[in-house]
Amino acid sequence: MENSMNFETIVGIEIHVEMKTKSKMFSLAPITFGDKPNTEVALLDMAFPGTMPRVNKEAVRNAIRVSNALHMSIDQELWFDRKNYFYSDLPKGYQITQQARPIGSKGYLEIEIDGEKKRIHIERLHMEEDTCMQHHFSDYTLLDYNRAGIPLIEIVSKPEIRSGLEARKYVEKIREIVTFSNVSDGKMEEGSLRCDVNVSIRPYGSNDFGTKVEVKNLNSIANVEKAIDFEAKRQSELLLMGKEVEQETRRFDEAKKETVLMRKKTDAADYKYFTEPNIPPIKLSDKFVEDAIATCPELYDHKLERFLNDYKLNSVDAKILLADVDFSLYYDEAAKSTKLYQPLANFMISEVNGYLNKNNISINEFKVDAKYISELVELLQSKKINSSQGKEIFAKLVKENKSPLALQKELGAILISDEETIRKLVLEVLEQNVTLRDDYKAGKTRAQGFVMGQIMKKTGGKVNPGVANKVIIEELKK
Amino acid sequence: MNYLDLTLSEIHEALVNKKVTPLELTKEAIKRAKENKDNAFELIIEEDAIKKATELSNHEVPKDNYFYGIPYVAKDNFSTKGYETNASSNILKGYVPLFDATAIEALNKAGAILIGKSTLDELAMGGTGTSGHLGTTFNPYDPTHTHLIGGSSCGSAVAVSDSIVPFALGSDTGDSIRKPASHSGLVGLKPTWGLISRFGLFPFAPSMDHVGFFTRSVKDSAIALNLLAFHDDKDSTSAFKEKEDYVANLNSEVKGKKIAVVSEILNSIQDKTIKSAFENLIKKLEKDGAEVNYVNFSRDLLNAIYPTYMVISCAESTSNNANLDGIKFGPYLGGKTYQEVIYNARTNGFSPLIKRRFVLGSYSLMRENQHDLFLRAQKARRLIVDKCNELFNQYDAIVLPASPTPAPLIKGSNEKVQKDYLAADNWLAIGNFGGFPSITLPMGFENELPFGVNVTCKPYDEVNMFNIALNIEKNTGFAGLSYQNHKEKDGK
Repeated sequence: MENSMNFETIVGIEIHVEMKTKSKMFSLAPITFGDKPNTEVALLDMAFPGTMPRVNKEAVRNAIRVSNALHMSIDQELWFDRKNYFYSDLPKGYQITQQARPIGSKGYLEIEIDGEKKRIHIERLHMEEDTCMQHHFSDYTLLDYNRAGIPLIEIVSKPEIRSGLEARKYVEKIREIVTFSNVSDGKMEEGSLRCDVNVSIRPYGSNDFGTKVEVKNLNSIANVEKAIDFEAKRQSELLLMGKEVEQETRRFDEAKKETVLMRKKTDAADYKYFTEPNIPPIKLSDKFVEDAIATCPELYDHKLERFLNDYKLNSVDAKILLADVDFSLYYDEAAKSTKLYQPLANFMISEVNGYLNKNNISINEFKVDAKYISELVELLQSKKINSSQGKEIFAKLVKENKSPLALQKELGAILISDEETIRKLVLEVLEQNVTLRDDYKAGKTRAQGFVMGQIMKKTGGKVNPGVANKVIIEELKK
Repeated sequence: MNYLDLTLSEIHEALVNKKVTPLELTKEAIKRAKENKDNAFELIIEEDAIKKATELSNHEVPKDNYFYGIPYVAKDNFSTKGYETNASSNILKGYVPLFDATAIEALNKAGAILIGKSTLDELAMGGTGTSGHLGTTFNPYDPTHTHLIGGSSCGSAVAVSDSIVPFALGSDTGDSIRKPASHSGLVGLKPTWGLISRFGLFPFAPSMDHVGFFTRSVKDSAIALNLLAFHDDKDSTSAFKEKEDYVANLNSEVKGKKIAVVSEILNSIQDKTIKSAFENLIKKLEKDGAEVNYVNFSRDLLNAIYPTYMVISCAESTSNNANLDGIKFGPYLGGKTYQEVIYNARTNGFSPLIKRRFVLGSYSLMRENQHDLFLRAQKARRLIVDKCNELFNQYDAIVLPASPTPAPLIKGSNEKVQKDYLAADNWLAIGNFGGFPSITLPMGFENELPFGVNVTCKPYDEVNMFNIALNIEKNTGFAGLSYQNHKEKDGK
């Protein structure tokens, strides 16, 4: 690419993660997402005079967990500040955030590109509250206070990201951490993970930073990459034409696949920060911090290692299972009731995943107990049923969530395993095809397959092939 | 004499002995509230009060519940469910809260009967009692209506000094209870910061805001603190303090107690009547066994009190009142954009005095000024508090006149910084800087206007504070003072 020859791309990323705590950051209003507008609102969320904030313990635990996953130092004294500005989506006229003392600072994460690892340093991680949701119409705006006060963590990287690809890997890694730690559902398209990227370029070898442009409204990880690459190209073209890059805020236009100007930036707004007087500094005990970390749900890297070592899965399959945290948790649950780990993985990846995709649902909406999937896998592996019976049982299983063994009985999906019954069938075939024994003895092993085919045909495939083979060989040898 | 002219504890005794009923008290309180000409009420609550009083009158009065059947008044910056609460500001006109403040809830639960919401300086920001949207609130001791009662808890001070009720809730950010208490011959207390929940109190400057109250005796003050001091989960700054029984611990023994009188403040007072009353009082304290020392504070620190208070309180207030934007509650005055909606609501909703304070606060928080103003004020606050703590290491209390004069004239009172700056007029704010328990009680009269003395102690030292105050009260003989009984006494 032309610009990569002249200029180095410098990217810093701010990520807002919406936590999925039971209640809001500073009020007791429940959070369920997707409830009717303005039904999950406490007095504080609408800033009624005299209401006061209370810090949500679970949100603090979450912030500690993510800070720890990002190798950050954790401030064991919580301080909150007010960020003051007037806006229609800000009920109190200020947002409670952590400006002076973020709970997490000086951390890093590692991304991997073509087998090479790179460390991206993270400046800070802090807790704050979300604003209310605005729905703009031509001549009016509706406000939904359900979102007002939902706990957020903001993660600010150092400007150490050098390309769209690196940025994508960085966001993927953050997303993986917040989803695996169960802090957030991390859905960019739904706004529970939001990215603002700062992009600038400079000639290779330079230590100064160029003018940075902020890009907002990135609703997918792919768009993060595209927006940065576009922006780097746009800026280098400007410079090569002898023009200047202006300090501005742009958004990514998905249809055009380019960034478009939102507003020119004048002097940065003055938010008149000061310490929140209604929340005294809160000391976090060593125990609280240690417990938060110790009880953190298993993170990706650890889980991958376990899937490879304990379940002896191949790495491709392990990564497919881990692509979605809930899917991996389902696998873990199912693996409790079988030792057939690889067949279970295969079944999950092909059958279960196929079913989810076909019905466009997530694993959380999959109504089958994990143990039943294991039971079905065991049934299949024991050859007590064949694969088409397996499919039949699975189809009923997803509807009824009943034990596959019970369903097998209901469906009569039983393979004939009784030697004498099978022998009768074999003898029938041999009587009708009198040359088969001689063929077999003459070395034509095809005869064996032929008999198997015939008895399968007669029974509609319901013969246990293992037992049948044994009987067929015995009879052909006679 | 009417039972309402007695103190809360005396009324309680009369209730227990069935000499009077909650209904009789409430009817009389409402009658007096209506007759009062001092502009003390934003709202008189009649129907519900009578209903509750009627219900309470059907039951035996519990001996251990001092507040059962007692009519009371709350400053109109306490959120009261179902009753308009506008903090004497047009920007909150018509705002009917959905919840009760914790203090209101506790009083109502105890069986106290809310008969009205009292006027205040707009949004509690002022010390004169002249800036509420209903105009000046007057001092009952001055029927000519030429003298202030002081603020911001002006209406509550009227309600108690004029014997409308024996108890009224107030709030105190600089001296908003303790100064008007001085001007109206009352006992005014703000306890240690965090001891009484602020949940439901409209915030002015939370780091200095206190819930407190007016009573007509020190004992009543202890009784009220017994009811209202408890931990409240709804207020994150609420103290986790083991409950103390301030009434049981009440005695007037001061033997061996060490009392500090700040020389610079006392010496700056010109009023001879106040000075001599104070000197008399000190003599009596000494006679009762207290050790009184005149100490130096530091002229510079004393001079810093007022600007420090103004910078911090104005800065916090800009933020605390940013929710008043005409979008969620209060009058909506329209506008094409959200900026216009907010602009219209705030331009019309606040008086010029409030806007001036917001400008001061906002200016001192601006990035380029914060270091020189807001942060410097915080440092000054810290130095002043350190100095106080230094004194509290050696002394049980600081005792001083609560005000350098009796109630000043209304005319000419404004809030521009005085040319002759008087620490004696502003020193009570140290109680807010450090969250110290601080009580004002009557000390004397000058030209028929009362003036008070103040006792300030270290945090959570309320028991000690009450005992010194009780000793002073015994020596002055002002227990139970109200405008009504003062007049009667004079008549004799």
